[in-house]
Amino acid sequence: MHRLCIASLPMLLVLVACTHERGAARPSAAQGATTPATAPTPAPPSAPTSPPPASAPQAPTPAVPPAAAAAAAAPAPSKAGSQAAAARSSRSVPKKTSAPETTPAAEAIHAPAAPAAAARPSTAAGATPALDLTALEQRLRDTRAIGLFTKLSLKNQVDDLLAQFKAFHNGGARVPLGELRQKFELLLVKVVTLLQDDDPSLAAAVSSSREPIWDVLSDPKKFATI
Amino acid sequence: MGPRLTLLAFPLLTSLGSTGAIAADDQGLGRDLRASIALQGFPCDQVVDSKRNGDSDYTASCKDGNRYHIFVDSAGRVVVKKL
Repeated sequence: MHRLCIASLPMLLVLVACTHERGAARPSAAQGATTPATAPTPAPPSAPTSPPPASAPQAPTPAVPPAAAAAAAAPAPSKAGSQAAAARSSRSVPKKTSAPETTPAAEAIHAPAAPAAAARPSTAAGATPALDLTALEQRLRDTRAIGLFTKLSLKNQVDDLLAQFKAFHNGGARVPLGELRQKFELLLVKVVTLLQDDDPSLAAAVSSSREPIWDVLSDPKKFATI
Repeated sequence: MGPRLTLLAFPLLTSLGSTGAIAADDQGLGRDLRASIALQGFPCDQVVDSKRNGDSDYTASCKDGNRYHIFVDSAGRVVVKKL
């Protein structure tokens, strides 16, 4: 028994050290822990029209889903940062069992996919380069860089902003367009800030789709399609 | 390395591994709560403690001493109340 204790002591020390190192070195894993259980891999979403990630502008898509309205603005992250974070996010991440997973919060976040789909047909008009905003919305839903509570908070703020745009286009606006633009920019900065460390490619995608989204929000006809 | 040592090491290894995962989960929750607090415009540098009160209902303590009640109301909105 004495020999057994002697043998197990160094093993215990090594295990403790390994566990500590592993836990400290994966912030993204921790972040992913609170995301909905629908994203088993850190890879981009599996939307039917899933585009290449980030910087690939595609056919004009002036429609904006509510969640995707939270896209864009702010500086794009550096390439080195992207690679580092991509490497980080490609690690295997443990799934977690935090409380919000089965809550109304999760349902609320996953609810508004319909407006995005409805908005897709209305392409045509805009000449500005745009991303596939449906896919962008899906990526925002699936990303592990933002926790569940945070996603829901952002969704609330997007909905509030959309309501203000709606009031503006309906003529009952208390908020002028310039102020709406500021609010829009601020919201996008928040999103990009939340994403840039753990999902830089999505942050860049959001950032680069700022103008197309604004085109939709500020144009009454395009806005009516979302 | 007899079978007794193996028997001893296995539960030890299991418990240590799960400890790391739990720590990571807590860290993720703390970051999520902190971001939610910040999005509502309240100060919180770091969440040092969080207590789950129920589904989507937490009490968070920040390093700067502020405490918040964070929950999702019936309308699906995240509400942050300073305690």
